[in-house]
Amino acid sequence: MASRTDRSGPVAGPAVGETRAPRRLILSSLALAVLGLGIAGYLGYEHHTASTTLSCPDTGMINCLTVTTSTYARFLGLPVSDLGVGYFLAMVLLCLPSSWASPSLLLRRSRLALSALGALFVLYLLWAELFQLDAICLWCTAVHVVTVALFGVVVIGTALLDQQA
Amino acid sequence: MGQQSRARTAARARTAEMRAAQAQQQRRRRLWRAMSSVGVVLLLVTGLIALKIAGVGGSKPSSAAPSTLASRAVVDAVGTVPKSVLNTIGTGTASSVPKPIRAPALSVAGKPELLYVGAEYCPYCAAQRWALAVALARFGSWSGLGATHSSSADIFPNTPTLSFHGSSYASEFLTFAGYEITSNVRSGTGYAPLDPLPATVSSLVDTFNPQGSIPFVDVGGKYTMTGASFSPDVLAGLTQEQVAAALSDPTSPVAKAIDGTANVLTASICNVTDGKPGSVCGAPGVVAAKAKLANG
Repeated sequence: MASRTDRSGPVAGPAVGETRAPRRLILSSLALAVLGLGIAGYLGYEHHTASTTLSCPDTGMINCLTVTTSTYARFLGLPVSDLGVGYFLAMVLLCLPSSWASPSLLLRRSRLALSALGALFVLYLLWAELFQLDAICLWCTAVHVVTVALFGVVVIGTALLDQQA
Repeated sequence: MGQQSRARTAARARTAEMRAAQAQQQRRRRLWRAMSSVGVVLLLVTGLIALKIAGVGGSKPSSAAPSTLASRAVVDAVGTVPKSVLNTIGTGTASSVPKPIRAPALSVAGKPELLYVGAEYCPYCAAQRWALAVALARFGSWSGLGATHSSSADIFPNTPTLSFHGSSYASEFLTFAGYEITSNVRSGTGYAPLDPLPATVSSLVDTFNPQGSIPFVDVGGKYTMTGASFSPDVLAGLTQEQVAAALSDPTSPVAKAIDGTANVLTASICNVTDGKPGSVCGAPGVVAAKAKLANG
């Protein structure tokens, strides 16, 4: 039987009974959350500072202004960009190595639930862009890609983590 | 004893192997579930994109409709904003003013011309049109003004507004040429065309507005302006009648935005009509706007 020392460190899958996710997944999740926070922060900055008395932009399919100033740019009265900043801020905290290492079931479930919520919200926003606004915002798409990737990393990380569940 | 001990050791080993195999199986199952959930999300994303490409579902049907004639009450309200209100408001919340240009005078039959190029779908045009209509009503009279709203699928959806399509304007001081290049009704990837631009107007737009932004306003070849002077958000949720009624209330955000912008536009028009008529160009609200115009 292979001993712990035969394994290739924390990069490999955890041993039976181990509660640590692979280091690559932990770092990937943190990197994605930080990246998402950066892009969402930029969109939030634009949302709160951009002029609203501009001329009409062209009406092509790629049109950030159409998306970021549409009715779908707010959710439950809050700017979606602000929700994005809040979401990624929470995900950064939940994806810190210390958070992954924590045995707290609440922490694990919060991370999983929040990432799933993020992925669902991406589907809603994508539907709005494609079928309601006829416009795609490239910055928003970047956030969507990061959110779905983060969901994938968190779900797989959690599956590897839940060895004792 | 030796045999019993070996048998116990073998049994323990078998149990350990079974537990390890079970754990391995559970791990595979969890991973499979995780991969499946990621796969479902990716499948849904791909599905939405595929549906869009295939044209299934299409875009949200626009609630837009071609402009109709504005009601008498709306036209009257636009043409009779009390002087006291306009003077009280001054430049109001107008955030941008026409910029001076060096160009040959724009005139028709000896009168300076105000040129407007916009579109009915455009929310910024929707906002600025109100101010233009109020400003021009101080120099002449409107007939056939339309009532419409900006696109329901664009920013600031359904901003209530007037339409210059099909309208006519008469004044002894200046002429007006207004072009609504498209309606607010979807057609293909854009909007249905309305007023084609004559070659001379296209050339002028290309020269002073190479980006083709709308609304574009040229005041007698002396000033040009693109965009709106206030956010269309001010008009959100209102009807044309409500906007028109609010024009005479100096405390209303609608009046501060529209009447303030109208004073700024009036000031620029006065600079091409040689200050005529004096009753308009000498009004305190217009004088205040002239100062803003000079300061840019």
